[in-house]
Amino acid sequence: MEYALFYAEGADALPYVAADDNVGEWVDDVEARGVSEYGERLRPEQDATTVRVRGGEVLVVDGPFTESKESIGGFDVIDASDLDEAIEIASKHPVASFGRVEIRPFMRWPDADPDERIVPAGFADEAPRGRRYLMLVVVEPGGERGAADGAPAEDDDPEAWVQEMDGRGVRRFGEVLRPPADATFVRRRHGEVLVTDGGFTEAKEWVAGFDLIEVQGGLAEAIEVASKHPMARGGAIELRPLWPFDVHEDHVARTEREAAERGLRLEPAAAEALAEVAR
Amino acid sequence: MEEFSGRAGGPPDPADVASDALDGEPVWDDRLRLVFTCAHPALPMDSRVALTLRTVGGLDTGEIARAFHVPEPTMGQRISRAKRKIRHAGIPYRVPTADLLPERLDGVLAVLYLIANEGYLASHGEALQRLDLAAEAIRLARLVVDLMPDADEARALLALMLLQHARSAARVDGDGDLVPLPEQDRTAWDAAEITEGLALLEGPTDGSAPGPYRLQADIQAVHARARTADDTDWPAILARYDELAMLADSPFVALNRAIARGMAFGPRAGLDDLALLEASGRLDGYHLLPAAQADLLRRQGETDAAAERYREAIALARTAPERRFLERRLAELSSD
Repeated sequence: MEYALFYAEGADALPYVAADDNVGEWVDDVEARGVSEYGERLRPEQDATTVRVRGGEVLVVDGPFTESKESIGGFDVIDASDLDEAIEIASKHPVASFGRVEIRPFMRWPDADPDERIVPAGFADEAPRGRRYLMLVVVEPGGERGAADGAPAEDDDPEAWVQEMDGRGVRRFGEVLRPPADATFVRRRHGEVLVTDGGFTEAKEWVAGFDLIEVQGGLAEAIEVASKHPMARGGAIELRPLWPFDVHEDHVARTEREAAERGLRLEPAAAEALAEVAR
Repeated sequence: MEEFSGRAGGPPDPADVASDALDGEPVWDDRLRLVFTCAHPALPMDSRVALTLRTVGGLDTGEIARAFHVPEPTMGQRISRAKRKIRHAGIPYRVPTADLLPERLDGVLAVLYLIANEGYLASHGEALQRLDLAAEAIRLARLVVDLMPDADEARALLALMLLQHARSAARVDGDGDLVPLPEQDRTAWDAAEITEGLALLEGPTDGSAPGPYRLQADIQAVHARARTADDTDWPAILARYDELAMLADSPFVALNRAIARGMAFGPRAGLDDLALLEASGRLDGYHLLPAAQADLLRRQGETDAAAERYREAIALARTAPERRFLERRLAELSSD
């Protein structure tokens, strides 16, 4: 079964200790076991851009879709035998020891080809052909579900968007996730693995799926792509640039080197990028 | 580990296996797998309890709903949501692998303990005890012990349930009012359940340090062996509470430990511990804290202070029989 793992520093997070970071071993292990499809780190939330369409107008803000205490710092797509194996894999990831790992199963469509994986074969080894963004599709209150003019709700179906973006070579993969009630959280504290249920039914906004996009035109093109997704109207789309790193590098040295750019926004201001789209 | 690829032509999807099993009539060999699936830590605790009673215990949704005082549709939703999660999140239908087994067995026992506790002392409502749930918990614990005879903590939990359940007829009087342990008619205790409970504690152990269920069962065994309340070996009980306090930093353990100290070394020792516990604020609003203080103050002859604590406890009591018991004690104070 395929799962998305989201890494986050939760409200109860402990400080990150670069010297204890064994993510290289973790990656070697999941690759040797053949359970890993693809995974990447994300630029911090300062570099997030949130796109909404309301009343036909594209609205952008610098920053994540929510002022949540828990920000997604990276993700993986794995193919495990069942939830217990996914929990075991998640519990060994270094983020489980100071933050938490959220395990989200994917929606499984009755007509899906059972041999097709979420991440296309070979994608993980492919050199990027453009700037890659993780596009988080967010359900939130205030979204205009169904078209504003009262047209049928099928307009929320991203199928046409998927076809267009696949055709343009922009969308590389993506899928709808099972709702938060089917999520499982994994932490490791004092050597003990703590498993808790998602139980997020009260949450007003949640990540309902994601797509990985690859664009030539930087943030402006990413905003244009995101704004066409029906859930930009029905909720929000958060664009997060990937932040690849060498998992086998010395993490103490890497952390020192990255310290300066960690708190910065390296992306252009969302409003400027939107103006570029208009031109 | 059993491998399910979930792909075409491969073995069946684990999600389908589990949900088909949940809906069907389980055969004996399937029950242990069901127990672990229903108590999986990725499910919310209230769903684990409900699902275990429904699929392993065979209770219907209406019975479970009534036992937990929730509307039947709410309980039905809780159960079907849990089944949905088992299917869609890929919760496996199998006995966990050896490395996971101790931790997952703890989870199963926690579910049974919760059912038994709700049966022993209802958290709310008119009746003090819910014999249906207590008996159901014993039935389920027997099943787990039969399936895993070498699991010490499972045997200890069954013993704990039996030793507590043995007193159920003596715990309430004809009016449904609570009879405290020292005043219970010990001949009304169920001798068969006590014998079975004590025997479970006498068998060989796997050599590991006693766990929380074993320690609690040992405490109940001390009560069960005492011919009269005055014969109770309180220092032995206190020693078990000391061990329990080392295992878990629980205010409820601290409360019982303080009471045991009061019984073993005189009310003053217990009251000192209870004062510390009260100052910690960890049992704010819990009626049994002022009730314990009232009882020890009464034993020490501090009638006015005891009366004040009884009034506090009465205001906080959650079941009618407990409230009536505390009111009776308060009345007895002024008549003495």
